[in-house]
Amino acid sequence: MNILVVLAVAIVFGLLRFRRAGLLAWAGAWWVGVYVLLRFGFSAPIPASVVSLYMGIVSIALLAYVSSSEERRDEVSRPLVRFMTEKRYTALLGATVLAIPALAAANVYVRMNVPLEPPLFSRTVHPASPSEITVHDKKIDLDTAENPFLRLERTNPGEFRTHVENGRRIYYRNCVFCHGDDLSGNGMFVHGLDPIPTNFTDGTIAGLRDSFLVWRISKGGPGLPEEGGPWDSAMPAWEKLLKEEEMWEAILFLYDYTGQKPRAREETAHQ
Amino acid sequence: MTSRPISRACLVLLIGVGCVAAMRSVWAQGPDVGTEAQRESGKQLYARYCAQCHGEKGDGEGYATPHLYPRPRDFTTGKFKVRTTANGALPTHQDLVNIIRRGMPYTSMPAWPKLTDQDVTNLAYFITTFSPDFTNAERVPQPVPLPSAPSATDESIAQGKKLYEETGCARCHGTLGRGDGPSAPTLKDDWDHPIRATDLAKSWTFRAGSSREDIFRTMSTGFNGTPMPAFVDALTPEQRWAITDFIVSLSGSDGPGYSNLVVARHVRDPIDLAKGTASFAAAPAARLPIVGQIMEPGRAFHPPTTSVTVQAIYDAQSIALLVRWHDMSAEKTGQNGPSLPVPPEEEENAAPGGSQPAGTSPFGEAEAAPEGAPQAEQDPFAEGAAPSQASEFSDAVLVQIPSEAPVDARKPYFIFGDAQSSVDLWFFDLARADPLQFTGRGSADIAPNDTGDVTGVASYDRGEWSVIFKRPLRPASAAPFAPGEFLPIAFSVWDGFSRERGNRRGLTQWYSVYLEPQDVPSAIGPMIRTALLILAIELAVVGWVRWRYGSRARGELGEPRQPTATHA
Ligand code: HEC
Ligand code: HEC
Ligand code: HEC
Repeated sequence: MNILVVLAVAIVFGLLRFRRAGLLAWAGAWWVGVYVLLRFGFSAPIPASVVSLYMGIVSIALLAYVSSSEERRDEVSRPLVRFMTEKRYTALLGATVLAIPALAAANVYVRMNVPLEPPLFSRTVHPASPSEITVHDKKIDLDTAENPFLRLERTNPGEFRTHVENGRRIYYRNCVFCHGDDLSGNGMFVHGLDPIPTNFTDGTIAGLRDSFLVWRISKGGPGLPEEGGPWDSAMPAWEKLLKEEEMWEAILFLYDYTGQKPRAREETAHQ
Repeated sequence: MTSRPISRACLVLLIGVGCVAAMRSVWAQGPDVGTEAQRESGKQLYARYCAQCHGEKGDGEGYATPHLYPRPRDFTTGKFKVRTTANGALPTHQDLVNIIRRGMPYTSMPAWPKLTDQDVTNLAYFITTFSPDFTNAERVPQPVPLPSAPSATDESIAQGKKLYEETGCARCHGTLGRGDGPSAPTLKDDWDHPIRATDLAKSWTFRAGSSREDIFRTMSTGFNGTPMPAFVDALTPEQRWAITDFIVSLSGSDGPGYSNLVVARHVRDPIDLAKGTASFAAAPAARLPIVGQIMEPGRAFHPPTTSVTVQAIYDAQSIALLVRWHDMSAEKTGQNGPSLPVPPEEEENAAPGGSQPAGTSPFGEAEAAPEGAPQAEQDPFAEGAAPSQASEFSDAVLVQIPSEAPVDARKPYFIFGDAQSSVDLWFFDLARADPLQFTGRGSADIAPNDTGDVTGVASYDRGEWSVIFKRPLRPASAAPFAPGEFLPIAFSVWDGFSRERGNRRGLTQWYSVYLEPQDVPSAIGPMIRTALLILAIELAVVGWVRWRYGSRARGELGEPRQPTATHA
């Protein structure tokens, strides 16, 4: 939601309510207001086709409302009729009559000259993982697997730090080029990658189980199901380069550096 | 009641501020290395943000170092590249702050926008603790005068071009600035690592920044620890500004303007490879970013090529692609191939040319070595003796398209395809006369494909390779190119000088190639039709309204109430 836009539209609607605007102005304002809400009110843009569908419905609803009684019909048509017949509006009327076709022509021009866009594929960022993977000939059950080093945090903090430090080394030798120095997904190669590498500092990985991460790290882009767009993801399948242990250490580091915790298993069970 | 303690606190504060100010003025002449507290705070930040590259001890030996090129700065030497101070001098505090803030583009040294000014200041102070030079009162850095810029003119650019050659910049950077000067392949930094003269035709990759002021400063003060000299004494400010203007003119644009689409333009005359690059004059150029192949073993962490520029044309029968990129030297001997093995140890040596220190000839087609002759790795006598020796690996380039035109969003894996969907590889080993074709089902499964559909020519001129591939639009067995349609396309580039071959290379992800239809429909017709239609409707409505209500309304000009309504 784009709060500012929503607020602005709400205020305009409120004002109209209290200023007792004419029915025509009221209908026009509603039409424009709903359009603005649909176009700019949401942070994830709504596809143009959906917007025109909604606007069609809104138009019909408004028409139905204004023509629902003779009185309303009249209230709406009166200003229009005056605009078209009274002498003092003649110049304005002429300008309007010319402006509308000009705008329509401009619209045609713009639509025929849209910049070429290669076909888009909207990938699912976090597709469901398989329930089991095989890494270096070892089966990992993703429903039950947990970072083997995580419990050391309480039982043996010294050793825990060693593993975090190993993870740090692994990260800066392998992952930094894409996921960046501060883990925010802005490594030196990102300008050439699409989808862009995941930002680990924005809370994404706090919503994921660490077994999900070990799947993504070991199998990488090629291991994604179709909806994840495995053909485009530059995320390497790290089983080709790292030991299983090293992947867990890297995961340990990702959470430690960003001060996050993997999503606990109980939470998942509730869903 | 509270006024007294407050005023007392104010007094203490004032005295404190006074003391600090007095101390600062005493130290103003001395080294600017900050306070104990500032350095301590810098130390904390350093451990979190910098040590993994620059090392706990500031010696540049961090975790990441084995895979980085250029290597992280060794702070213990006191040698810094980006400075406002004379050649060999230390950087000022402000120089350090600036470079930390801005980072060094196209290296692993990131910009640090999220650190506060306070943090960056403290980090800059802490870095000075690694080298005793910073506290040496005799080495206090003094900025050299860097007068402000006159505006660039055509004359200054022309003068700069002349000076650029006379001063010897071209010896290292090449006549057109593409980093291909005759000495370029032999350059080393102070730590004996190979180093390349910057490609001056890509200003966005400049470590020290690409504004005119930045370039002027780089040229004036040089880069300590590298062969890049300082010209503050050798050239007058006017001369340096003129060269600066020339360098700015080399890039042609402020940024790389990376694209994701190659638009192929239709040409009427049949495509003739003999005409070379001239056929492509009207085709729009798309610059595509190259990244290191760091996804599969045999990784290239720092490919010297940072982008390829692609143009395409098609006629009734065939399509032709022109792929261009800058290369320090043309390796036209030796061999290359998409599946040549790369031993894992080589990953640890990320520097381009790292294992091949002696220079190769930039224009050395004359000295073609016997094909496939194994290269004596490091002949101790070769160093000074032979400026032009044959390279073990040749330069190469590859175009990749899916073997079958995708019916939906699904594509083959961008690195040489996968088991389910294969890719068609047009591979040009630039030591050979013609391109080869392969079918890829993943890096480990690349098979020759001898349909012989693809032909091509290649040429190298002043630091730039231009390679043209040509293929029938609709060959018997491969994805067709059709006007009005998109097809995925990807590229790889191998630099033989950096021993790139097989998986060790620079590559692009999937982009698209689009064949612009022969006749692009004009918008004029539909525009006029729409306008006229709407105008007619409008006139009809207005006319009807006027006819229906006109007489009554005329009688009531200015009269707000309307008689028509209110019943039924
Ligand atoms: C060549 C670039 C590259 C390198 C190197 C790389 N990654 Fe990635 N990574 C990506 C990209 C791109 C994505 C996002 C696309 C995807 O999900 O596959 C990603 C996604 C991920 C994800 C999935 C996050 C999520 O929210 O689903 C994890 C976990 C991850 N990377 C961990 C790592 C680790 C650990 C390393 C180092 C051992 C690493 N990556 C190295 C490019 C890279
Ligand atoms: C991912 C690795 C990496 C990290 C993290 C990193 N640097 Fe660097 N840094 C480099 C490399 C590589 C260079 C050398 C670039 C070159 O020589 O062109 C460098 C160069 C420098 C320079 C020298 C600039 C000059 O003028 O020569 C300074 C100062 C510096 N880094 C400070 C820092 C500070 C402070 C931090 C932490 C906030 C930091 N770096 C973090 C890789 C890194
Ligand atoms: C002896 C060889 C040599 C000569 C002569 C030379 N340069 Fe350089 N120059 C280099 C090298 C090597 C680098 C790259 C340093 C690095 O990678 O850190 C460089 C880098 C540069 C850069 C880019 C710095 C950046 O921000 O990345 C500019 C600009 C530059 N030189 C301009 C010039 C000009 C102008 C001249 C002539 C007046 C000149 N150079 C003469 C070797 C040379």
